[in-house]
Amino acid sequence: MSNQIKFSGVKKVFGRGPDAVHAFGPVDMVVEDGEFVSLLGPSGCGKSTLMLMTAGLLDVTEGTVQIGDRTVNGPQTDIGIMFQDNTLVPWRTVRGNIELQLEMRGISVASKRAEIDAILASVHLEDFADRHPYELSGGMQQRAAFCQAMIHAPNTMLLDEPLGKLDAMTRERIRSDLQSLWMEQRPTVLFVTHSIEEAIQLSSKVAVITPRPGRIERVIDIDLPYPRDYEVKRSPEFSAYVHETQEIFRGYGVI
Amino acid sequence: MASFDKKPTFAGLKLRLMNSWMFVAFFIGFFLFWEYSVLWFDIPLYILTPPSLIIENGAADLPRLLDYTLVTGTEVIIGYVLAVVLALPLGLAIAFSTILKRTIYPFIVCIEMVPKIAFAPLFISWLGFGLLPKVIIVFLVCFFPIVLNAILAFNSLSEELTLFSRSTGAGIWRTFFKVRLPAALPQCFVGFKYAAINATVGAAIAEFIGSDEGLGFYIQIVTGNMRPDLAFAGIFFLTLLGLCLFGLVTLAERLLIPWHISVRRN
Ligand SMILES: Nc1ncnc2c1ncn2[C@@H]1O[C@H](COP(=O)(O)OP(=O)(O)OP(=O)(O)O)[C@@H](O)[C@H]1O
Ligand SMILES: [Mg+2]
Repeated sequence: MSNQIKFSGVKKVFGRGPDAVHAFGPVDMVVEDGEFVSLLGPSGCGKSTLMLMTAGLLDVTEGTVQIGDRTVNGPQTDIGIMFQDNTLVPWRTVRGNIELQLEMRGISVASKRAEIDAILASVHLEDFADRHPYELSGGMQQRAAFCQAMIHAPNTMLLDEPLGKLDAMTRERIRSDLQSLWMEQRPTVLFVTHSIEEAIQLSSKVAVITPRPGRIERVIDIDLPYPRDYEVKRSPEFSAYVHETQEIFRGYGVI
Repeated sequence: MASFDKKPTFAGLKLRLMNSWMFVAFFIGFFLFWEYSVLWFDIPLYILTPPSLIIENGAADLPRLLDYTLVTGTEVIIGYVLAVVLALPLGLAIAFSTILKRTIYPFIVCIEMVPKIAFAPLFISWLGFGLLPKVIIVFLVCFFPIVLNAILAFNSLSEELTLFSRSTGAGIWRTFFKVRLPAALPQCFVGFKYAAINATVGAAIAEFIGSDEGLGFYIQIVTGNMRPDLAFAGIFFLTLLGLCLFGLVTLAERLLIPWHISVRRN
């Protein structure tokens, strides 16, 4: 089954009348099956709004979102979504929080023990499995939230600034882990970020979004070999992509 | 759950004592001042008695005090439990029903404005001097804080958790038991604790107005007989009763929501 995501004339207006806020769109874009697409844009341009509309958690004002051959018109349960604010519940441990995702979906927890251990190890949290969220740093909570969002092994992942609270070093490491995961399993990924470098390093395409009301100014194909490590980041081609993106934002006076 | 247990260590105890010695000193000082000021300022015993005499005469009247503590305690417990058992489901129903929110909810908010204790004489004239009118008064003073806090509790699930729950496709019951209920418990306990503090006040006042037993009755009678020492002994047992109820609720809170910040801070 295809996991292509197709946006056709997607637009979002919050509220009505004179107080209405035109938050986003209209936007047309296709995210092909197995692609890693970054949404890159300044704060308030509507990235989270687009994520929620894709997940079927927020109604579109105009247009349609399609995943595969289905039109999104309600919560999509076969995708994985990592929200901008973490969804860890304080009354459960890290492991309990990951199990919550399974329990909510009626998946047997016992059958997923190994997967839980594996995903915790992949974000280097195995020693904190039995800690509560308040015993974790902001970045550790974010990694735990990633595990919670992805434990049901979705083929489509919506990640809203998943690395936002990480320090530069951990961020670098998790980025390369995320890249390995994507190269291995090839899910379709929609990835929100503020960081130009991060978008270019990870994505097969970068959708550059204008300030509010967000529109897709340009979709840049990133034609660089994977895995994209330090060497690639130091290459002139990489710098050229960074420069191209910066020029767009400079044009809008964002930077 | 292991991480929630605070093992009482010797060092911890020492630290506690060091932190609280000023309070202990003040406490002792207060009672010493009370004890001797009655002598120094020549206050007549029928106005104020020194603590030592309260203890002595209270001990002599202990059987009656204990009997009455049991009477008032029964009123408090029945009224309180009844309030919890009825108010919690009602709060839940109002939180999730638009119709109830538009009908019963404003009604409850209106009644909340009325001081419930003002109904006490009416209930006693309707229902006599027995247990029932007191239970009703205790029930009334406990009911409203519990309902109002329960409504607030079940209506304030964070936006992220609401979206998360919807994204999993879980049904309303599963969402309720796995997310909504645990998330609501801390705010519910705000209501339970507030009600626990009110409960003994309600019982005592109801007994002042009309009864032939109980601590409120006792305090009123001995005050009339110019026996402030016994009145203080009655007040002491009433306070003890209130503390026991509050302690039980706090214990339940510790057991049910050990993860919550208000519990962890202590
Ligand atoms: N529920 C809402 N009601 C009204 N306006 C909203 C609502 N949610 C978002 N908006 C508006 O929509 C715009 C886009 O918000 P959104 O959260 O999608 O931005 P974003 O691109 O994710 O920003 P950030 O990078 O800061 O997270 C904002 O200007 C915001 O004011
Ligand atoms: Mg956002």
